[in-house]
Amino acid sequence: MTAAAAIARARARPARRARTTESLTGWAFVTPATVIIGLFGAAPIVWSLVLSFTNDNGLSSTSAFIGVRNYKTLIHDPVVSQAIEHTIVYTALFVPGTMLVGLFLAVAMNRKIRFIWFYRTAAYATMAISTISEALVFIWLFDPSFGIVNYVFSLLHLPQQQFLNSPNEALYVIVTMTIWGWSGFAVVIYLAALQGVPQDLVEAAAIDGAGRWATFRRVTLPLLSPASLFLAVWLTINALQLFDEVYLSTQGGPLGATTVLVYYLYQQAFTTNFDFGYASAIAYLLFIVILAVTAIQFRVGRRFTFYRS
Amino acid sequence: MGTYRMKAGLLCALALAAATGLTACGSGNVATGNSKSIQIWEGWTGAEAKAFAHLVSEYEKTHPGVKVSTLFVNNDNTLQKVQTAVVGGNPPDIAYLYGSWAPNVAKISSVVTLTKVVQRPGVNWNDFWVGERDVATVNGRVIGVPALVDNLAVVYNKTLFAKAHLPLPSPNWTWPQFVADAKQLTNVSIKQYGTAYVTPGSEDTVWHWEALLWAAGGTILNPANTKAAFDSPAGLLSLNTLRTMAITQRSMYLDPTDSAYANLFNSGHIGMLVTGPWDLSGFPNVHYGVQIMPSFPGTTGGHQTISGPDNWVIFNNGASRVSTAENFLLWLTAPAQAEYFSLHTGDLPIRASVGNAPSFDASMNQALPDVSTFISNLGNVHQARPQIATYPQISQVLGTMVVSVLLGKAQPAQALAAAAAKVNQILAGSG
Amino acid sequence: MAGPRRRLPFSPWHLVLIPATIVLLFPFVWLIITSIETPAEALRFPPDLTPHVIRLQNYPDAYAAAPFGRFFLNSAIVAVTTVICNLVLCAAAGYAFARFRFLGRTALFIAMMATLMVPFQVTMIPQYIITKWIGVNLLGGAGIGHIGALIVPNAATAFGVFFLRQFFRTLPIEYEEAALVDGANRLVVLWRVVLPLAAPALATLAALTFLDSWNNFLWPLIAINSQAASTLPLGLATFQGAHSTEWTLLMAGNVMSLAPMMIVFLIAQRYFVRSVAATGLTGV
Repeated sequence: MTAAAAIARARARPARRARTTESLTGWAFVTPATVIIGLFGAAPIVWSLVLSFTNDNGLSSTSAFIGVRNYKTLIHDPVVSQAIEHTIVYTALFVPGTMLVGLFLAVAMNRKIRFIWFYRTAAYATMAISTISEALVFIWLFDPSFGIVNYVFSLLHLPQQQFLNSPNEALYVIVTMTIWGWSGFAVVIYLAALQGVPQDLVEAAAIDGAGRWATFRRVTLPLLSPASLFLAVWLTINALQLFDEVYLSTQGGPLGATTVLVYYLYQQAFTTNFDFGYASAIAYLLFIVILAVTAIQFRVGRRFTFYRS
Repeated sequence: MGTYRMKAGLLCALALAAATGLTACGSGNVATGNSKSIQIWEGWTGAEAKAFAHLVSEYEKTHPGVKVSTLFVNNDNTLQKVQTAVVGGNPPDIAYLYGSWAPNVAKISSVVTLTKVVQRPGVNWNDFWVGERDVATVNGRVIGVPALVDNLAVVYNKTLFAKAHLPLPSPNWTWPQFVADAKQLTNVSIKQYGTAYVTPGSEDTVWHWEALLWAAGGTILNPANTKAAFDSPAGLLSLNTLRTMAITQRSMYLDPTDSAYANLFNSGHIGMLVTGPWDLSGFPNVHYGVQIMPSFPGTTGGHQTISGPDNWVIFNNGASRVSTAENFLLWLTAPAQAEYFSLHTGDLPIRASVGNAPSFDASMNQALPDVSTFISNLGNVHQARPQIATYPQISQVLGTMVVSVLLGKAQPAQALAAAAAKVNQILAGSG
Repeated sequence: MAGPRRRLPFSPWHLVLIPATIVLLFPFVWLIITSIETPAEALRFPPDLTPHVIRLQNYPDAYAAAPFGRFFLNSAIVAVTTVICNLVLCAAAGYAFARFRFLGRTALFIAMMATLMVPFQVTMIPQYIITKWIGVNLLGGAGIGHIGALIVPNAATAFGVFFLRQFFRTLPIEYEEAALVDGANRLVVLWRVVLPLAAPALATLAALTFLDSWNNFLWPLIAINSQAASTLPLGLATFQGAHSTEWTLLMAGNVMSLAPMMIVFLIAQRYFVRSVAATGLTGV
């Protein structure tokens, strides 16, 4: 038969035996990873869910089942609602910010100019640097008295800011710090995806008279949409779990302005309350939020992402 | 049909086998089985690490058959690691744990009670400074052996004082003098500050303020630890002092990250710093002097200061390992070893007999100029922070209170009242 | 292709990339300068990027301060093994999610993604207990206290599966269908047709997984109980005391730790550009 007919037949709804085969094959391929992720990823999560119904303090070996009391406390805890607010504000700024910076730099780097390997390596290097070094440099840059940012502000006749000393501004400093730290990741992802944008499509658009911006918007961006969805989902999942940068710089301050949910639950578990049960409950609240947000992203993404198969 | 499933399975089996095979060169947990083999988790770095390693090997030499293996764990992380290990069933034999964790560490069931051990003849428990003994004891039960002691005093920049034509701080100076000096030492145009304060709201923020509270004659809680006692005239005085410097005079550099102030002092940007002996080695570029804390005239506080001792805690891994651990710790904290450690690290001596010995101060000052002031300052430690399990929560409330005053977000009187209300709630809830 | 007429002897994109790179590399400049300063000069704030005395001795000093040779080796073994396992397991699973229809596919994918949504602080202790049990009962001791504990829990991650699934879905299915029609089974299709096309994604995943494994601190801190099995981040932590940090040695150590990561990336970079045969895939 002709190739076209063969392909058409392969695409047609497979017979039942073939479907079972496909099912079994699918499971065979998936099982090894599932075992590892299940054992070391899912089982601890279920365990923590159980913990959230106890008053375990991580210290004494006795803990009692207390039902949903932790969750009730959670709902009335003012710090939790503040932490949720901080986490959401942070995420809403961080995710688009990183994607835009990453996309811009990736497009700039996706060309055969000299030293391109150096620029790409510089982007990757920002992921490689230890969080402590990153935090120290940004703390210095944003120091109200001695930092470069305020110095530049003074040159531009802008008022001096308090940055990490100001409850209103500290979170934005963290946003900036983390966008810097993650833009390399976005660059690397977009660069990989840009490889999949066939040059002849771009050229065809140019020949058809489309300007560079229109080509980018109509051809490149849609082809990048799977990568964009991936980034949006992954960056959001990470942003909602922000911890390291807060721990290494402001420790939740000043006056709780940078206390995000994971930092708060860490305090509850290990430094202030020694209440593992409560911390687990907070983690589950966060889990529900992340799950919901991710599901929405996938749903919305389904309409906007374009797969070429 | 079966081939690819087999192949997929084979691939994963290969991968995992590779993983475990290649990892055969790692070694497992030391100190299993052999009862004379113990493991210590500690966070010593630099000179402290060298001195400690020396002491450990000396102990092994003089006690054949005993093996002491050490594992470095940053002190900030030790409790997390200990908690995990305890739940997982293999705690260390000895761990270095912050004194502020003591009331909560005491809840861990495998922590060994040392009350009788420290009363053994020759140990001389009362030779340890009172601050250390307070922190090692929870509800009358001794759960640790002192590992480290320190206190807060004022480190000042002699050069900046000279430039401002100010007399150097004297042993009977007062907080109003400190405030006035800070104002004189502040020069905005050259970005010079009279003093500094850390404002992340953590225990570091709190304990600096507690020293002031005590100097003003106040206490944190009532003697029964059931009610807040800091919302008093002493509390008001201490907060107003801070407020004057931070808001009114703007002579105080506020460090929200706890990381810049020391280097700032070392770069000559700060005139006076309330800090501890651990920072002295970080000031190689400054001609510094050390003076005890100022007092508040007209109060009973005197030149009181605050101390932050840490503990060696023993965990129960069987009677013979516990006994080995006890013997090691008693030897480690004996006067001879305490003196060796202090002289080689600049850390304050954990025993009064060592600190009061005639030429000790001079020897210490050779390595670390003026550290002897910190040693004699140990005599100014009269009380400790409340040894209750809810102290970390109380500390958080106090931290917020202090920072809100320093940032000008609240007036001292209001801040005190609000904090006292919260603290009373916490104390009531824990009953 | 007709491009804009160049007025400059170099691509105008350099004018964008150079400032961007300066911003990106600035912390590295600080890192490297601190690593070659004397401690006295490193303890300045604001940091002065013009040291008067250069001290290269920091590097040998840092290396000698702890058994860094051993740490490098352990980190390398863990990272390389983790990368290989991830590439194999996640490619298989990602491909299945992308191309196969099987019962429970969506539910399983959601469950996998869910494992990314609970912070480590909460799952740390259960993971420790599980790893210990598996190490003792199934892996002959390659559990807690052994570097196997660092490899096995991370041998496959939901991130890798998610990432590759997304990427595989962007590949035009025509090649795979053609191969299937030609009689190849699924595994051969994956191995011979899809993976070569996915080289950029695999190289990216390899670089990211390597980085994650190399820099991982908290889990090794909890799981490792001896210096012999410690990894690089644990080794670097020995420069950080509770109250004082040996900054110059720490930064020298950091620079040495960065080197292998950068080498891995430089190698991976070559695969970022897809092979010529794979371009021009429009309209089969």
